[in-house]
Formats: sequence, structure tokens, C-alpha cells
Amino acid sequence: MDFFIQLFSDPVGFWNSHTLLIAQIGINSILASSMFVVLYSGQLSLAAPGFMATGAYTSVLMDQYWHTPLGLNIATGVLLAGVLGLLVGLPVLRLRGVFLAIATIGFIEALRLGVILNVPITGEGLGLKNLSADPLGGIYLVLISLVVVLFVVWRLTKGRLGAAWAAIRQDELAALSQGINVARYKMIAFVLSAILAGFAGALEAHLNFFVDPGDAQYGVARAVQILTFAVLGGSGYVLGPVVGALIITLLPWIFQAQGIYINIVTGVFLIAVIVFRPQGIVGRGGLAIIRPAWWPRRAGVRVPTTG
Amino acid sequence: MKRLHLVSWLAAALVVAACGSTGGGGSSTNSYSGKTIKIGAILSITGAGGVYGPQSRDGANLAVKQINASGGVNGAQIALTINDDASDKAQSAQVAQKLIQSEQDLALLGPTLSNSAVAVHPLAESLKIPILAVSTTGIHIVPDCNFPATTPCKYVFRDSLGEETAIPTNIKSYAEDGKPKTGVLLVAQDDKFSSDGGTIVQNTVAQYNINLLKTIKFNKAEADLSPYVTQAVQAKPDVIFITSLGGIPAKIMTEARKQGWQGQFLGGNGFNTATVSAQAAGAGKGARSASAWYLGNTFASNKDFVDAYKAEYSKDPDQFSAQGYTAIKILADAAKRANLTFSDVAGDRDKLRTAMESVNIQTPLGPFQFTSTHDVKQTVWVIAMDGAGGFTLVHEIK
Amino acid sequence: MDQQLLNAIFIGSIYALFAVGYTLVFGVLDILNLAHSAVFMFGAAITYSLVINHGQAFWVACIVGIAASAVLGLVIEHVCLRPLRRRRAPPIAALISTVGLALIIVAVIEQGQKGSLFGWLWVDGANSVAFPAGTIPNPTWHVGDLTLEASKVAVIPISVALMLALGYVIRYTQVGRGLRAVAENPRAARLLGLDVDRMISLTLVISSALGGLAGILFGVALGDISPYIGRDNVEVRGLAVIVLGGMGSIPGAVIGGYLLGLIEVFAVVVLGSGARGGVAFAALFLMLVLRPQGLFGAQLREKI
Repeated sequence: MDFFIQLFSDPVGFWNSHTLLIAQIGINSILASSMFVVLYSGQLSLAAPGFMATGAYTSVLMDQYWHTPLGLNIATGVLLAGVLGLLVGLPVLRLRGVFLAIATIGFIEALRLGVILNVPITGEGLGLKNLSADPLGGIYLVLISLVVVLFVVWRLTKGRLGAAWAAIRQDELAALSQGINVARYKMIAFVLSAILAGFAGALEAHLNFFVDPGDAQYGVARAVQILTFAVLGGSGYVLGPVVGALIITLLPWIFQAQGIYINIVTGVFLIAVIVFRPQGIVGRGGLAIIRPAWWPRRAGVRVPTTG
Repeated sequence: MKRLHLVSWLAAALVVAACGSTGGGGSSTNSYSGKTIKIGAILSITGAGGVYGPQSRDGANLAVKQINASGGVNGAQIALTINDDASDKAQSAQVAQKLIQSEQDLALLGPTLSNSAVAVHPLAESLKIPILAVSTTGIHIVPDCNFPATTPCKYVFRDSLGEETAIPTNIKSYAEDGKPKTGVLLVAQDDKFSSDGGTIVQNTVAQYNINLLKTIKFNKAEADLSPYVTQAVQAKPDVIFITSLGGIPAKIMTEARKQGWQGQFLGGNGFNTATVSAQAAGAGKGARSASAWYLGNTFASNKDFVDAYKAEYSKDPDQFSAQGYTAIKILADAAKRANLTFSDVAGDRDKLRTAMESVNIQTPLGPFQFTSTHDVKQTVWVIAMDGAGGFTLVHEIK
Repeated sequence: MDQQLLNAIFIGSIYALFAVGYTLVFGVLDILNLAHSAVFMFGAAITYSLVINHGQAFWVACIVGIAASAVLGLVIEHVCLRPLRRRRAPPIAALISTVGLALIIVAVIEQGQKGSLFGWLWVDGANSVAFPAGTIPNPTWHVGDLTLEASKVAVIPISVALMLALGYVIRYTQVGRGLRAVAENPRAARLLGLDVDRMISLTLVISSALGGLAGILFGVALGDISPYIGRDNVEVRGLAVIVLGGMGSIPGAVIGGYLLGLIEVFAVVVLGSGARGGVAFAALFLMLVLRPQGLFGAQLREKI
């Protein structure tokens, strides 16, 4: 609990000695926003870590080989993530529910295990040194980026895109019958989420002297963590996943880094939220009795076991 | 009348107190009485590194307890905090920042895993706090700690024998004993520790005329290693090099023996714990590695350490406990000579750093000194698994 | 080369056994039970602990281990699934709640130390352990160039027998008809007087018992038991298997298991050892893109 004591009694001191933590919260929040975009449009995509990796490696490699300025590196990383999002999205967006989720898992692991670990330029298993990293100063960039991202995403949800996404999320077939170009809007959401994830990845790489392709960085474990942000916070509102990110990132600190109990607590949170308050902490409404409207009606397959 | 009594009692009490605090009459030049030396340890108590972190912690805690009980460091008590990083690189760095800037620790220990070290060590270097690695043995620890502005790094030290020394020593030793001609390397390509070890193997074998027939890469989270082992065995090498840690070495050795391979296993630091020897059991018998420490080593300070450890924890220490214990001894010795002010943290950290460079003490690892690049200078033991959860000594190389 | 074929078959058997449990739940309930891999690990851990820490005979420990896994299946049903069904939550919610339970189960085992709260379950913490030689019967035979190990060989008939038994139950027994009815349409099944909750509990019990058994065989055959054996790769491989074989199809899970085993080993032998993971997931991705229902699943009804 002395975590909070310091926070309130000496905010400046707290800030100075916790910039890495705050920056990580910022990055996790951007990732949470990436998740928000796909969930808001009714797609359970777990592809974020793959795009993160794209953004991160691109940015660091450009710096290493071409010594180009940071802004250009991040922008290129983001652009490539977007392009990859388009390429991956094309075949998978026809899939629904768990199938989309599994396909995206396939994508991120194929990228990590197949590509990153086997292509010499990425440093393979050894990872990459990032000599221009700025762990302590990077926080300003992260926080400004977070504000911009949240604002942009919020505006989008208020506009036509948001309305279309909400309609698709409610009932894809109905939306289609209303004349909404479902495929296009889904793709926009997917690509936007890829861009945001790529951005977060590039920023995170900037805070670290080392980029490595581990499971906790760009694998399924990371994808599940990001999903947890959105589930805990709720993906009905832009701030929902951000709140989820905040809580999950702070959990070890609040509980004084009793690591294993953290997992038990996280697991309990997940179950409790999804059972009793599926709209998440920030979501509207009380404890759940009715089905939340923000997920597609059917998982996409009903296999009759004709035996 | 009473007031005079009170005042004189008060004065007398003050005089007695003043005399007492200078450590028993006379003045010592370096008295730290009443002060606290704050050290922060960042260890993996939970998560994948949780296999090693608790040992480092136990060794370090034992040293702190012993030192504090016998008068501390010139009268100052050591306050060691153990901070878990859950084997997560990001958390490791965040904890480090807190310890450095919020807790104002004088020095840091750790982190446990090489993966986390590449994030934490540059941070420590940039914030100018001495950090002593107690279990990381990969490349990019010293002298190149991955901080671009300074190489060699000034604030990073390690007391854990690096793979750059251990692996070649092990290979050389077996090259002389067994005269192998061919080898196959199995390396977990997504694990920094294993990859580093693999690179070192590749760079060393040519020196001893061992032909590396194949380098077989796999992912550390692979459930089933049989196809890789089959590939290795089918190449019919004299030696199989295994540079992984955790559950992997035992799995490989068990599978290779089952597939009928009779050759020699050579490994890195990943072999050096009792759990690995126990898991490998009979299949691991004779598997060799170079260790920074050996339970039965004959240095005087080792026997005391082993006895004290057993008394405190009811189990045998291992390499990681020895290195954790030694780390505290190193810091205590340096602190004693560093003329700390306890009021200027930045200055104290720097003085401590300088004092550390000239450490020369007896430890369970033997006589200990740092090299000019803050690496370890110590005896190396080549050990072999005994097939029953322990090790036997093969060679002692000073 | 031949030994590699054997390797493929052996690991394929484990994948198959694991996947049958997965696909059974998906077939009946339309949900992915992501706690299945934790049950897999739990079965292995409990069995090991019973033999080594509590001095039980191996066969006894196995039976208790499988039973404990089955009980865990009931826990999954009551904690993660039933409350969601009451609420008519979409299937994805169950995915999340089972993820949560998996976290808890792994943490409980990881936490186990001598004298700790969960020390009666497991004392080795995050370590990897193996059954010491002699505690379990596991002879190895050499036939020419090939190595055959009893535990690995045993997995094949066990998996096939279980698949056949399960198939028989589903096709020809009253209980099986009940399960099929629930799979087809739970509401109608309830209207027809079936105790749907009980059918579902039964599904979870069978699935988890199979998962636990797979874990035990894994631990014995591969010589590795730790809190992480479910999470590392087996879980995601299980997904790949049911995608390849067809979600909800039991024969599909078995064939998919062997197919994945073959694909992986093929990748190692032909493309190089580093390609294994990449190829497995590429296969998963391709199958979903080209034929989402897998080899034996029924046609997907809805696609845009």
C-alpha cells in the first residue's frame, strides 16, 4: 500500500521514480485502444502483438542501419503494420467469433516463430539492440501519443464509422441488409487496430535498449493480456480498455509484487467481470443479468454431431 | 534541588550515550554507527526465473543476517529488500527505477534473468548506481552492458561466472579428456541465455578441432523435443552441446539416451542446479559443465557457508545461493572501505563503485576479485552430474 | 528418417488425445474451453505429486489424477460456464472465463512449495521434474534403428480406444443421444425433458478426464512436468489440431492430431528445426482461410 501513499503524498517524487511504469501504462493503454477498435466492431482479433512486432522491429532496424530520425522510424513502422493489417485482414475477416480469434493467433505465432526467429536481420532469437532508446525521456512522447490516440478513436466512434461499427457488432446480417458495407467497415477497424498496435510496438521499443521476440512480448501471452485489459475495463467506451490497462499494469505494484497471487487475482477478476459485469468496469449498466449487446450473436459454426 | 538532579542526570545520560555511539570508547576513522546501507535486489521469485531467484535470495539474506549480527559494516546495518520482477523484463526495469530513484538504494543486485538484465543494466548505468549481477551469465552483461554511451560500463559488475569463460573451459577440459571429433549443438533460439551459449559454443569448437556437424535450433516452449533429438542422434556426434536451462536439458538428455546415443553431453550454466540433475537422473550421468561453485569445494569460507546455510534453510546451497551470498560480501567489503557519507546518495554510489573495483576477499566461490572489466576472476570447477540429483567434481581449474 | 516418423506418430497421439477433449466441448457447447490445457497440466502434476510426495503406487496415482481432472471439469462447468449460460452470454464470454480459470490453476501449482498453502498439491514450484527411473514401468525397445518407448507406444492404442469408445457412446447410447441433442439445440433438448445442465456437466467431466490423462501420458513419455506444460505450446497446438480436423468432430480431432504431428516433424526434417512452430501456425492459418470447417467439420453456415 505504500505505493499509494507515495503517489498521494509526493506526486512529483512519485512521477520521477516511476516514469517507466507510467510509460508502460501509456503503452498498454494504446494497445487497449487497438483492442477497443476491433471489439467495438464486433471482431475478436488477437492480432495486436504481431503488429506490435512489426512496428517495433521496423523502427529499430531503420535506426540501426539508416540512422534515420525517430519520427520517420515510427511512422514507417506504423505504415508497415497497417499494410500488414490489410494483407492479413483480407482473408480472415470473413471468419467469425472464435474462428477469427484462432486465425489471428495463427498469424502472430507464425510471424513470431516462423519469420522473426528465422530471419537473420532481426537478430533471430538474440533480439536487437536498440541504441537510441530513451527509457526515461520517452514518457512524454508516449503520453502525448496516448492523448492523441484516444481523441482520434473517440471522434471516430462518434461519427459514421462508429455507428456502422456498432451496427455490425449488434448484428452483422442486419447491418448488411441495411446497406452497410460490412466488409469495408470491418477492414477499416482491423487496419486501424493494426496501426495502433504498430504504433504502440514502436513506442515500446523506443523505451527499451533491447527488442526480443519472446512469448511475453509478441506472443499469445501478450495477446491474452491485452484482451484482459478490454474485458476488465469494458469495450463499450473508449476509456474502458484504458482503465483495464491501468488496473492490470498496476496490480503487481498494489499487491507488492507477490507475483503468483497476481495471477490468481487476475484470473478471479476476469471470471468475476465476465460473469457479473460483462460490460466491464467502465460499461453502462449494473450487474449483469442480460446478455451484453456488444458481441456477435453466434460463433459462426454449429456443427451437428450427426455421429 | 530536584531540577538540578534532573539536569545532571540528563547530562550524564547524554555523555554516556555519546561515548556509546562511537563504538566502545576511542574514535574509529570510518564509523557508520546507526546508519543503514540500503541494497535492493531485483530477483525472479515467480515466473520462469523462479527456479533460480529464491536461491539467490536465500544466499543473500543469509549473508545479511550474518553481517548484521556481528556488528554490521563498521556499525552500519545492511537493509536488503527483495523485489520480485515476476521474470518480466518490463516489470524488472520499473522495479529498478523505483529502487534507484524512490528508495534511494545504494546498490542493486540482479536481475535474475539475462533477458531482464539487458533492460535493467543500461538503466542502472545511465542512472549511475552500482549493480551487481548474481546469476546472469550471458553476453551483454560486462563489459558491454548494452548502454550505448559508455563501454566498458562503469557501474555494472557481475559475480556470476560468464558463459564466455565457463563454456570454453568446459569444452577444453573435455577435449583433453575425451578427444572428441564431432559435435552437434542444440540451442533454444528464442531464449537469450541459450542463444548466447550457442554462439559461444560455435566460436569455441574450432579451437579444439571439434567439427560441429549441425546446429539444431528449437523454441524453448516446445513441448516435444524428440524430432530435434533424433536429428542430433542421427548425425552420430561424439558430443551433444546443450545450452538451455529449465526443463530442457533433462528432456534432451533423457530422449537422447532412449534413442540409444551413448556420447558425451556438454552444457552451460543451465546444468548447474540440483533440480536439473534430478530431472535428468540416470540419463544425465556424466554430463559435464563448468560451474562457478561446487558444494564440496575445499575453500575455508565455503565450509562455513555451507554449514550456516544448511542450519538456516535445512537444505544444501547451490551455485546461485553461493553467488547471492558472495554478492553481499562484496558489497559489504566495498562499503567498509568506501568512506560513505550517508547524506550524498549520488556521491556514495560512486564511491561504492570505485571501492568495488578493488575488492579482494575470501568467499564460498574461493578468493574473489573483479577483472578490469568487472567480470569474475575465480576458480572454475568442471563438474559432472552423478545420475542421482547431485554432482561430482571432475577438475578444478584455478 | 524412420525414427522421425515414429516421433510424429507419438506426439500426434498426445495431440489427438488432448484435442478430443477440446473438440468434445466445442461440439456440444459451441465454446472453446481454454482451461483444458490447465487441466492437462493438473493431471500430470497431481499424479507426479501423489507418487513422489505422497508415496502412492503409480496406477493408483493415475486413477486419482484422472479423477481429480474430472472434478476440475466440474469446477469449470460450475464456475465458468453455468453462470454464463444462465445469463445467455455469447460463447466468447466462456472463452474469457476459462482463460481466467486457467490462470488460477497454473498459479496454484506454481505456488506450491513445501509448507505453502498449496503444498499438499505440489511442492516443486516453477521447476520441471520427471518421474525418476524405476518409479514407473516404462521399458524401451530397440528395433533396428528405431527406438520404441512403452509409454509412447501405449498412447496410440489408448487414444484410438478412447476415440472409439467415445464414438460408440455418442452414437449408440441414451447418454450419447442426449449429448447430441444438446449439441444440436439446447433449448429444444430441455423442452424434450433432458436435463441439459447434467449433460453439459458430463461433457466437461469426460473432456477433462481425457485432458488429465493426456497430461499424465505426456509427463511420463516426455519426461517433463511443470506448471507450464499446458500453456507452452500444447494449448495452442490443440487449437491447431481442432481447426485442422474440424471443430466438433472427434474423428477429426484424432486425425488432426496425427496430421499436425506429421506436419511438424516434416517441417523439422525438410525445412530445418526452426521452422516447426512457424509451419504449424501457418497451416492453422491457411486451413482457416481456405476451409474453416477443417477436414471433417460441417460447412459453416454463416460467412459474409
